[in-house]
Amino acid sequence: MSAPLLLRFVAEARDLLQAAAGGLLDLERHPGNDTAINEVFRAVHTLKGSVGLFDFAAFTRLVHVAEDVLSAVRDGQLALTPALVDLLLDALDRMGAWLDDIESVGSLPADADHVAHATTTALRAALPAAAETETAAAPAAAATTDLGWVAALAEPDRHAAVARALAGAPLTALEYRPAEDCFFSGEDPVNLFRQLPELIALAIEAPEGWPPADQFDPYACRLRLRALVAAPPEQIEPLFRYVLDQVALAPVAPENLIVPTGAAAEDGAAGPVREDFLAAARPLLAAADWDGLRRIVTALRELTGADLLIASALRWLDLVLAAPAPVPGWVAALIETIATGAAVAPAGAGPAGALPPLARAMLEGQRFGLGLPGAETRPGRIAAIGRGVGAILRALGQDATAWRDDVAAASAGDDPTPMLVALDRLLAADDAVPAAAPAEPPPRATGPPPAESAPAGGGGESRAAPRVLKVDQVKVDTLMTLIGELVVSKNSLPFLARRAETVHGSREMGREIKDLYAVIDRLAQEMQAAIMAVRMLPVSEVFERFPRLVRDVARKLGKQVELVIEGEETAADKNIVETLGDPLLHILRNALDHGIEPPDERAAAGKKPTARLLVRAFQESDQVVIEVVDDGRGIDPARIRAAAVAKGVIPPERAARLSDQEAVNLVFLPGFSTAGTISDLSGRGVGMDVVATTLEKAGGAVSLDSVPGRGTTVRLSLPLSMAVTRVMMVEAGGGRLFGIPMDQIAETVRIPPAAIRRIKQAEAFVLREAIVPLLRLDALLGVTGATGAEETAEAEAAVLVVRLGGALTGLVVDHFREGMDIILKPFDGILAGIPGYAGTALLGDGRVLLVLNLKELL
Amino acid sequence: MALVNEADGPAIEGACGVEEALPLLEALAGGAALSLGRCTHLHTAPLQVLLALRPPLRDPPAEPFLARWVAPLLSGPKE
Repeated sequence: MSAPLLLRFVAEARDLLQAAAGGLLDLERHPGNDTAINEVFRAVHTLKGSVGLFDFAAFTRLVHVAEDVLSAVRDGQLALTPALVDLLLDALDRMGAWLDDIESVGSLPADADHVAHATTTALRAALPAAAETETAAAPAAAATTDLGWVAALAEPDRHAAVARALAGAPLTALEYRPAEDCFFSGEDPVNLFRQLPELIALAIEAPEGWPPADQFDPYACRLRLRALVAAPPEQIEPLFRYVLDQVALAPVAPENLIVPTGAAAEDGAAGPVREDFLAAARPLLAAADWDGLRRIVTALRELTGADLLIASALRWLDLVLAAPAPVPGWVAALIETIATGAAVAPAGAGPAGALPPLARAMLEGQRFGLGLPGAETRPGRIAAIGRGVGAILRALGQDATAWRDDVAAASAGDDPTPMLVALDRLLAADDAVPAAAPAEPPPRATGPPPAESAPAGGGGESRAAPRVLKVDQVKVDTLMTLIGELVVSKNSLPFLARRAETVHGSREMGREIKDLYAVIDRLAQEMQAAIMAVRMLPVSEVFERFPRLVRDVARKLGKQVELVIEGEETAADKNIVETLGDPLLHILRNALDHGIEPPDERAAAGKKPTARLLVRAFQESDQVVIEVVDDGRGIDPARIRAAAVAKGVIPPERAARLSDQEAVNLVFLPGFSTAGTISDLSGRGVGMDVVATTLEKAGGAVSLDSVPGRGTTVRLSLPLSMAVTRVMMVEAGGGRLFGIPMDQIAETVRIPPAAIRRIKQAEAFVLREAIVPLLRLDALLGVTGATGAEETAEAEAAVLVVRLGGALTGLVVDHFREGMDIILKPFDGILAGIPGYAGTALLGDGRVLLVLNLKELL
Repeated sequence: MALVNEADGPAIEGACGVEEALPLLEALAGGAALSLGRCTHLHTAPLQVLLALRPPLRDPPAEPFLARWVAPLLSGPKE
């Protein structure tokens, strides 16, 4: 198992999980969306395929059962309820967590088997087949085609199995086809069967026969092992977890085992006796007189040769009739076998037979649900009941085509009458069922289960391979660094042109260099734009998690929220998009927890019970703007004022002077949180101040706008790209160059020495009637100017006014220089810990520019 | 080694592992009769040898699993 393969699996699996989760949420909103269910199914199916490459048994099992459930949903056997969606999402989350483990340590955590078992069991319980094996009376509709061999097992074994099934045990057929080289990987296939808890039948065969003795290789496994086990598949699977791909497991319905075998009766002496038996048996069956039947069965058995088919059928009858409540369908089929002399496949209940009580109760429940008033929910009900009854019919082995037509007619006309009529007919037919036995076995759903890889609608599988390269971000970053260096190097060409002119006196040479420079400059700029485009990501990368978050949180809080996402295709630099994630999550949680009211409160305020939460992204000049708009209760400025005062964030008299808007902005102050009670969701001590800080770090801003009773809008804005930083160069320390980020600079002024006032040790000056503290960059950086302090004292001081956290500060420098675009490289390695610097950039003449981080410096 | 040679032919005593499939094949090649009476476990590989060769048995296995599921396969008529 090579590491690159594993890494690729992890990356791919993450995408698949994301796709599956997204599709599930979509499905929950629009049930019956064929495209969505196919997407989800395909994602999980692909995941199953890739995880099978690795030795992650628990993972494989979990994906497998999730796939089974999705397959049942796709085939309409299972309705996708919110509870089921929860289960599936849990399973996906579990897989996501395992992926993290796999990525970090290369294996699943120790408790994976255990955890997988819990989730697997829960999911499997949702499967229709599982529901039916629990009620042994209702015959399972499991596909029987690939399990034909169970009927060929020895009759006593099948007797034992049916007896167990009648006693309520689930039956599972197990076929294990060990790989030819399994002995070399340490497998002992037969030993696995030795460990099976409830082994009822075991057949060890060599399906291809044996080669001549001289060519026989004892170490090539040629065996096929088949078994019948009185345990559910989930108890068997763990035993076979390392060879699950070579094992087929399926629940078996008892009637698949009730197959009489033996020689056909010759029409000899037994003929008349048999006629007598049939004449007596049929009325007894009709009257459900099981004791009477048992007596005549025993009588006939004594007269019949044990090898005959009839004897076998009689033995089966004996067994079936021994049950407390014999299944009429089975008895009828066995009697017919005796009548015709050929095996008649029994069925639990046919269309002409009585409906099993459970199925009848379910159908009556569906009929009741269909007849309920309420036009608003009717389309959903029609669809759900359509699927439900369809599943019941299939489970009974009945043809559901007519029913599907009725459902289609009902949903087209938004009128359940056709379905009601059909249901009534079904139930009435059951009431009026003649007690006569069915002569022919009813048509059963024997078609092979839909092929896993062929999605409904066909053709969907042949999607063109997306022309997308997955590239490690480091490689793109390297490319960007190189291009950055190219940009910087090309800046030395003008220097060279000037040298050609001045030093070597060749104007022509200088001009040629400048022409060349123009070409390289254009190319370099285009390259820069191209690499920026590579790094651009749509904000949907971050938005993708929101539907899930909003759904979960809203469900937890009992609120109804409709999430609307707009402009998810808006793109920004990868780092920027990633910066957005956590603040946005926090804002959404806030909105859900504090902003949006519970449905009854909304109704009382005259709003729709379902709140609307809008997340909108768009580009505004060179900024990407994201707004989170809710129509909740808004922020009450009075409450904010009171809370701020109570928490000592601001003094009372200042709170009173604040405008409402300013009061609302108090939430950005550190240490502020209005949550009355600390909830599980928001208010964990990290407040809006963290959001504000995170955004400021990335060069962005956050603002808040709220109308009490109408809702709140939080607006985040960030630069499109952080790759190019605009700085102003200043000289300090006698000709040393420093860069200062342009967005922190408010203005540049020159002030005469006389205007500098000393307040104790500190200096300050007056700028437009406000006192601005004054600091000297030389002193801050610990560099002494070669020009000497006295000299600068004479001249006007060059003061850079910078804005930090809303306050102005003056910074005395030697000289102002030009502004320029640079590619900032943060310190790394041993330099990374040095405070006060944001990083470095290369200048055109090869010098290194130190860029200051004023926040750390001041 | 679970495979032992007794006076009247080969026998398997105790658990017969995967590595004994080839020796077993060789021991049975001459048509000798095998004793499984004291065999407690047969790995699938030696079991496969027995299924392929169907040697005559001097003693059927006494161990319950082998007696229940394997012995019938070895005692029936050879096809």
